[in-house]
Amino acid sequence: MTDTDPTSTTDAPNRPTVLYPIRVLEGESLPTGIADLLADAHVVLAGYHVIPDQTAADQAREQFGERAMAKLEEFAAALSDAGATVDVRLVFTHEAQATIDRLIYEHDCLAVLVPNGTDAPESVLLAVRGDVGLDRNTRLAAGLFATTDATITLYHALDDDEADTDGEALLESTANALVDRGVSPGSIDTILEHPDAPLDAIARHAADHDAVVMGETDPSVTTFLFGMPAEQVAERFLGPVFVVQRERPAEEQSAEE
Amino acid sequence: MGRDDVLEGTPPTDSSEPVVEHDRDRGEGELERTIGLVGGLAIGIGTMIGAGIFVFPGLAAENAGPAASLSFAIGAVVALLVALPLSELATAMPRSGGGYFFISRGLGTGPGAVIGIGLWLGLVFAAAFYLVGLGSYAGQVFAEAGIALPVDPAVPLGIAFGVALTVLSVFGTENTASLQNAIVIVLLVILTLFLSYGSLDALGVFGTESTPERFLPPGGMMPVLQTAALVFTSYLGFAQVATVAGDITNPSRNLPLAMVGSVLVVGVFYVVTIFVATSAFGSVRLGEFGETAMVEVARAFVGLPGALAIVVAGLLATFSSANASILSASRAVYAVSRDDLLPASASRLNLRYGTPHVALGLAGGPIVVLTATGQVELLAEVASVLHLVMYGLVCVALIQLRRESPEWYTPSFRCPAGYLVAGLGALASLSLIAFMQPASIGVGAAVMIAAYAWYRYYATDVALKGAF
Repeated sequence: MTDTDPTSTTDAPNRPTVLYPIRVLEGESLPTGIADLLADAHVVLAGYHVIPDQTAADQAREQFGERAMAKLEEFAAALSDAGATVDVRLVFTHEAQATIDRLIYEHDCLAVLVPNGTDAPESVLLAVRGDVGLDRNTRLAAGLFATTDATITLYHALDDDEADTDGEALLESTANALVDRGVSPGSIDTILEHPDAPLDAIARHAADHDAVVMGETDPSVTTFLFGMPAEQVAERFLGPVFVVQRERPAEEQSAEE
Repeated sequence: MGRDDVLEGTPPTDSSEPVVEHDRDRGEGELERTIGLVGGLAIGIGTMIGAGIFVFPGLAAENAGPAASLSFAIGAVVALLVALPLSELATAMPRSGGGYFFISRGLGTGPGAVIGIGLWLGLVFAAAFYLVGLGSYAGQVFAEAGIALPVDPAVPLGIAFGVALTVLSVFGTENTASLQNAIVIVLLVILTLFLSYGSLDALGVFGTESTPERFLPPGGMMPVLQTAALVFTSYLGFAQVATVAGDITNPSRNLPLAMVGSVLVVGVFYVVTIFVATSAFGSVRLGEFGETAMVEVARAFVGLPGALAIVVAGLLATFSSANASILSASRAVYAVSRDDLLPASASRLNLRYGTPHVALGLAGGPIVVLTATGQVELLAEVASVLHLVMYGLVCVALIQLRRESPEWYTPSFRCPAGYLVAGLGALASLSLIAFMQPASIGVGAAVMIAAYAWYRYYATDVALKGAF
């Protein structure tokens, strides 16, 4: 199984691949501003429909497949009109999480979008936790926003036993990584603070921005799209959140190949 | 292919895509495979185990004595001979509808219509049979609680459960697969403990060895074979695995393993159950206990706690069998109506709940009516007759497809010694019917004749052979 998407590597090397899950038959549609937000992304538009166990999956597909696909094509056209490249997938499933995990893997998605309406993206909050996800976080943020006028605000919440200097060093290396990837140094801000509840703090700061980029948090949890922290932030923020996926461990990847 | 590139100026990338097992056909989306080997085994075991252990031991022992063990073993052999050809067909045609789908594609519309409608009604009979069993166990709860009821509550309770299960299937959107797995695990644990204790006791480990009755009944092999025909209903569940073939991961491995594995597991449990039961009581006495004989067996070994454990296990087992049969019957209706052998409205889903409400109604309605008859043995045998005809034709379809070997026929699992196994499977399935009671054969034949008449009236212009 190849895990890099041909379109994202050959056509536009900097386009980060973003999975956009959408419950297409339940009246979900593209929120305002999402198409502009994803203009520089390679979007995997993953339409899915969850069917109860008592229904055969092909029965649901037979009845709803065409309608769902037509709807998805419509959304895909809107996204590509705004500039994105789009792959469309439509899945009838008994388990949404299994489907989304599989699609993340098959398309080697850098991030999953929790879609919410937004204005034209003028400022983006990038929550930085540590060195681990730094490469993928910055690849996503730079890929999506380097060519736009959006400012990127780096945010780091200090642990109890973490020195200010460590946090400053982290934010600086993150900023450098963004600049290396083409973000203009002038459009990067930083916030370093020592909050009681980091998630509350992220949600609070998010209110001043148009979109949030954050990592999936708990490495022990294998299913993560609606993993607690990102979900909590998305619920309170009510704007779009990009949840950057961990890199798949090398042995896991080779085991499946 | 469900994957379309909407990107301007980019060539389609389909050719470079690896072939994955999630089928993505017709631009209408792909289907997620979510049932693994454990899930497949749970479907098979969960559908089957309700009958053989919790309904039949009393009836079977009454007819065949300790040799009822042999009757159950014969049933297992027949089921295994069919399970292997069925696995091959299911990996070649992973569609809902199972046996009906294979026969209509392999042998044509006429046999397909008879089997499809027969499968729907066969499952209706099976579900009604399980519901009477469920009602018996629910009635036993009152008996254990010391509440005397003026009438035998089995049938009224069975009807109530039938209505409740149908309504739940239409409106319930909870994920029931994990519940099914849990029920099967609890059942297997209770049964393993109980049967191990019972076997050791019967062999004299805990006291006096029980004197075994004469193994064969007075009539010789005839009652044994008749009992094998009667209890074959206990094996109908393995084919349900094939009806969800499209949802099973790694089907070339998991489908045959789930089908064969579930038959072997329940077969061993059935044989041991009869051994334990007939060592605890004489066959005549067991027969008097009727559907809930196992409760008395457990009481004889470990007193009230044992009886209660078996009542709970019996409720769970017959409940899961009845539920699985109702759902399978609705899938059979869908499969037949998809092929225009029944009006298309029969397979409509409601978008709100995503459930096939018409098909569930077409299953639940007749089930409740049949449950009201309370004729345990007749219901079981008619269900078996209708299924056995299907099994026989499934084997014939395998032989036919292998001989014709059409281009689309590319099973990922091949039945070992295919012609031999399928030939024996067909022979064994159809022979077993001969040992049923004449009334059961009559009802089964009437259903099939009516199905054929319906096909001649409604669907002569439908061509299904090879339509894949």
